[in-house]
Amino acid sequence: MVLDRLLDVAERAVKTALRMGAHQSQASSFILDAALTRYANSQIHQNVAYRSGGVSVRVVLSDRRMGDIEAFTLEEEGVEKAVEDALRIARASRPNLDFKGPPEPEPWSPLEGAFDDETSLCTPQDRVQMVREAIETAHARSPLVRAVAGNLSTNSAYFAVVNSLGVSARASLTTAGMKTTVISELEGTEGFSTAESYSRRVGDIDPIQLAGEAAERSVKGVKPARVQPGDYEVVLSPLAVRVLFSYISGMGFSASSYQDGSSFVRYFSGQRVFDIKLNVKDDALDPRTLYMLPVDGEGVPKRRMNLIAAGEALLEGICYDSLRAGREDKKSTGHSPPPIGRRLLDRPVPYNVIVEPGDSNMDEMIEETKNGLFITDLWYIRPVEPTRIVLTGLTRDGTFLIENGELSKPVVNLRFTDSMLSALSEIPLLGKEVKTFETNAVPAMKLKKMRFVGVSAY
Amino acid sequence: MSQDLARFILEEASRRGASYSDVRIVSIENEVLNVRNGSPEQVELQGLRGFGVRVIVNGSWGFAASVDLNRDEAVNVVKRAVDIARASSRLKKGDVVLAWEDARRAEYSTPYKKDPFEAPLEEKLEILMDAERSLAACSPLIKTSNSYYRGYRERKLFMSSEGSEISQTITWCGGGIMAVAVRGGEVQVRSYPSSFRGDYSTSGYEYFESLALVDHAEEVGGELVKLMDAERCPSEEMDLILTGDQLALQIHESCGHPTELDRVMGTEADMAGTSFLTPDKLGRFMYGSKNVNLVADATVPGGLGTFGYDDEGVKAKMVYLVREGLFVGYQTSRETAAALNLRESSGGMRADSPLSLPIIRMTNINLLPGDWKAEEIIEDTRDGILMMTNRSWSIDDKRINFQFGTEVGWRIRDGSREGLVKNPTYMGVTPRFWGSCDAVSGDDWRMWGTPSCGKGVPGQVMYVGHGCGTARFRRTRVGLI
Repeated sequence: MVLDRLLDVAERAVKTALRMGAHQSQASSFILDAALTRYANSQIHQNVAYRSGGVSVRVVLSDRRMGDIEAFTLEEEGVEKAVEDALRIARASRPNLDFKGPPEPEPWSPLEGAFDDETSLCTPQDRVQMVREAIETAHARSPLVRAVAGNLSTNSAYFAVVNSLGVSARASLTTAGMKTTVISELEGTEGFSTAESYSRRVGDIDPIQLAGEAAERSVKGVKPARVQPGDYEVVLSPLAVRVLFSYISGMGFSASSYQDGSSFVRYFSGQRVFDIKLNVKDDALDPRTLYMLPVDGEGVPKRRMNLIAAGEALLEGICYDSLRAGREDKKSTGHSPPPIGRRLLDRPVPYNVIVEPGDSNMDEMIEETKNGLFITDLWYIRPVEPTRIVLTGLTRDGTFLIENGELSKPVVNLRFTDSMLSALSEIPLLGKEVKTFETNAVPAMKLKKMRFVGVSAY
Repeated sequence: MSQDLARFILEEASRRGASYSDVRIVSIENEVLNVRNGSPEQVELQGLRGFGVRVIVNGSWGFAASVDLNRDEAVNVVKRAVDIARASSRLKKGDVVLAWEDARRAEYSTPYKKDPFEAPLEEKLEILMDAERSLAACSPLIKTSNSYYRGYRERKLFMSSEGSEISQTITWCGGGIMAVAVRGGEVQVRSYPSSFRGDYSTSGYEYFESLALVDHAEEVGGELVKLMDAERCPSEEMDLILTGDQLALQIHESCGHPTELDRVMGTEADMAGTSFLTPDKLGRFMYGSKNVNLVADATVPGGLGTFGYDDEGVKAKMVYLVREGLFVGYQTSRETAAALNLRESSGGMRADSPLSLPIIRMTNINLLPGDWKAEEIIEDTRDGILMMTNRSWSIDDKRINFQFGTEVGWRIRDGSREGLVKNPTYMGVTPRFWGSCDAVSGDDWRMWGTPSCGKGVPGQVMYVGHGCGTARFRRTRVGLI
């Protein structure tokens, strides 16, 4: 029903644009029902819900002048005005010679399991109950637990895409995510830890398990010691691996960074730059990915793409939308962000990244470590020298020294600045369980060496 | 129409049991232009209209919003907000208390000379095409050249059950240029007037014109080419001089965020983090040297964080955060101000859209000018490095340990610029770093505007300003270790 309405809006927008003089046109329409319950200091402090919806219209004139409009309306009058405005902008613009046209239609099939009714119907009362379970679980673990913070979100998203060449596609998706951060306190020191879970089905999220995991590590984290910066073996929890691969895949495999010269793939493709055990793909059809979608924001069917194979960064892993593909006379790989995500993603990036698992687990990784660090999460990562993937960032929410195969003591957060070409060149162990996050799904990982250059003040 | 709908919403909220309610009816126009390598990559107009309703029921907040501006949807949204508040109240420790604020009836607009939305699109694109063309022509090493323009207008009606009725219009615009040079595996970037799409101001189209992007393109491109052959930044401790475009971000990250009282009180612990500036330090902790005076000032003309009233109806004001090095104040909401027994809110509650809940955001966080001239600081430095224009930034979740990289640096020896250095970086610990500040300029003081400050869950992107000139920090760690 919702998708029929969205398809109708997009079709009408394209027809209107052609009638008003556009040479080509594309329209995508969407509805997002979003709800979020946020808690801190062991009580709810923010609880919101909103409904958003609208249409994005692109018109192209015969000389390749283009105009784009994003309007938060689905009403007939509003959509017609959006088309008029898009044409007004196109007529005032200059030809975009990179744009070779919107994508031709290709067959696609709807995906089973992308939409979950229970998630879609989740009520404020349901969310409060899950939050209550998390808070009570954390406090029950230890009297040292001072505060529980976090958030729980449920979203239902629908979109449709139509273009003047015959593309007609639609998709719907639910997502749910919960994060619980626990703060413990002892003798004026704090211990932090966090746990996260994402699924298309809210029923898959276990607040008790999440809060228990975060609470245990948080209590262990009080009275942290300072260790010297330097090179350490590291065991990265999936949360930390998730952060690293968000940057590596976004910076390395986006056509935008490839074309401006800042992608490492431009310089190292065809070489084995990472450990041979590292295999990474982008696959929106794989159930392990959160944003499981049959088509992208331009209606191009999603398909599996290998980004890294046996440690080799692949040139064929570069992700294109139609504009960036046109710049190199290529075809889109189906990486135009859907209309709902355009405010956050303004370029083609892989957002269904899966790091293939190994055969280990975190306990084994710790046991195999003589003198190293266990890292729960990484924070505020930024590229310092993108072509060598030199990243800087900090540990967060639970960092521990590993001595002789055991977590020996909590340590004060550290800053790393290191090239991932070096840090990921030796991965002695890879986790066998792949954990799903928002834009990627990854296992835990042990690295032979990571360079830490500073220590925080707490 | 908007006033009638807003009144209807407040009455509906009251009828459904809200002890307090407010509503924002907001319309946003956002014109985004980007020319890249000879073609307009983005010529886009984004429009958003909608409303958001906050209620307090049983002592707890609820918020709901929609893009459908009609009475039927208003009833749905109010019902949803009230349901959410009732559900929230099952998991509360105490009732929400708001610091006192006078009810106000007011109208406010940020001033401008030329309406950015009246200026012809053809003219804007012509300037961008010319600037980008000049930049690209500087060298065959330049592989990517971009020019940017953005014009923004937000019309807001705020009404509350306490009797406030405030209409305001905020208009801003600006732009910038950026080029990327590539040789072998090396990539260098240079931007003007600052990185990440330029600089913005609550002014009219005249501000974009004043940036004179075309006139600066050759200089930017020339410096970029020289940068390719520059020496790498040394790795040691030395005196560091930061110009305003980099210092603005340093202020943002190491003073702006840690003085947000919601962070301090733990409500950002799950995402943005907490703060080292805990309440026990208020009025007692030396944040920096005596040369450091930092304020949150929503009244500065042209600041990107300038407005008439915040999204709780609190009148724009200036508050000290750091006075002569001493930490003395926070950025607050009415609720957090009351929780800390402060007399009133600092007026920093802002939402990035009608669909977003207002949260504490920076207004204009400014380092007040000192007695030095920028050139005097350089002349007074025996052995140091001057860094300019941000390239990367990272700071821990309590806002203490940071590392920044800039697009360009100059080695300073015996009071003069000796030569360019590339890939400059510096790192430090916030109070130690600001404690080493021994010179602040006044002659080059100006406002810098960034439209992309991220915070909150779901993520919100806010426009904020920073006023500063040039400053020197003694014995700072520079270069990658």
